[in-house]
Amino acid sequence: MSRAQGAEQNDSDWSLLERVVQRDEFALAALYDRYSGLVYAEAMRILRDPGAAEEVLQDLFHQVWRTAEKFDPARGSLPGWLLVAARNRSISRLRRRSSRDDEELTENSVVLPCNMETAAARNQLLARVRAVLSGMADGQREAIELAYFEGMTHSEIAERLGAPLGTVKTRIRSAVEILKRALA
Amino acid sequence: MSNGHPIREEEFELFALGVIAGEDCAAIQAHVGACSECARKLAEARGRIALLSLAAPEQNPPAMVKQRLLEKVREEKSERVAPVRVRETRPPARWWNTIWAPAALALAVATVFLWVSDRRLDRQLQQIQRVTQTYQAETQREREIVKILTAQDTMTVSLAPMPQVPKAWASLKYNARMGVVCYTGDLPAPPPNKEYQMWMVPVSGDPVSAGVFMPSAFNEGRICVAKVPDNIPCKTFAVTIEPVGGMPHPTGPKVLIGAL
Repeated sequence: MSRAQGAEQNDSDWSLLERVVQRDEFALAALYDRYSGLVYAEAMRILRDPGAAEEVLQDLFHQVWRTAEKFDPARGSLPGWLLVAARNRSISRLRRRSSRDDEELTENSVVLPCNMETAAARNQLLARVRAVLSGMADGQREAIELAYFEGMTHSEIAERLGAPLGTVKTRIRSAVEILKRALA
Repeated sequence: MSNGHPIREEEFELFALGVIAGEDCAAIQAHVGACSECARKLAEARGRIALLSLAAPEQNPPAMVKQRLLEKVREEKSERVAPVRVRETRPPARWWNTIWAPAALALAVATVFLWVSDRRLDRQLQQIQRVTQTYQAETQREREIVKILTAQDTMTVSLAPMPQVPKAWASLKYNARMGVVCYTGDLPAPPPNKEYQMWMVPVSGDPVSAGVFMPSAFNEGRICVAKVPDNIPCKTFAVTIEPVGGMPHPTGPKVLIGAL
């Protein structure tokens, strides 16, 4: 058992990643416990297939294990990368695009506007984001969710909703503005 | 568009969201790859957009996913350790390695020592060469002084002080072939940024500089030596106060003057 097993809950993502680099699987398990729920929920929302979502989840954390030394905390946060990579891989599978399962930890820098290392912070953020979305007009929320969870472009959303392209663009733009203001 | 960047502020989020397609998408991608400021803005926009994932209904993955993951990494860990074990079972090193290793170490130490020593000797040699050159120049100057002082055709000229330096004096030995040797004494320090300059005044023509000099800090006598311009006999000698470095023609007040 690791010397610090059981105390990982208080460790920062960066210190856990450093231990992962040293081949400490308990540190990987701690990161998994911290973020697997978010990653899995996102993959499930996109793929609606537990088996496929589990594969995305396992592959992502396996990549963290293999390439943790490449992660540069100055370029972004680990949960940010996990969420973006989970979305990209899930949408690729959903839309049968050429999958980028080799997406590097150094690619797609993601800077989260807040810390997600503690359960309390994650729960607070979750409530905040849901409040922002529920405060949007139905059309705005629907458009931005189609973009995020189904990876649709403006034109594809317009076609799906049977709405003019300009209307869809306006809805998404205003939804993004609301999100940006709320998270500033 | 803002401040010369082809991406509007709101487009970072739209790009991160993935709704921008075609040429616009490619243009943004290309610019972000080359512009660190826009890359940072995009990273922040990605972070804000990524939080939309929190809108997904909460679901915990089955426990077996974690189990599979940890089994996989443990397996890989043990595979990585395996080659080390193979290396441990190698036959012991041959007996001559016990000689070669210390010998190589000793050779390396000796090389470093010799290199350091060589550098030190180089520096010492350069210093000695500089001192030798100084002594050679000094010896040459002294030979010239002796030649002038001992030549039969050398003449003596006493320079009289001007009123502003009443105690100053100078004795000058003039040889039309070899030059002059001037020995000065009791000259006060010149004003700031000034030096004394000696002049030889030919029978006809303008005065010629015989060089600049500073009086000794201890008010000792000072010798200065100068060549006489070719085939131009001198009649008068003077010392003036001039800017540091000297002037081509006398400009300052005379402090000493004397004639043949």
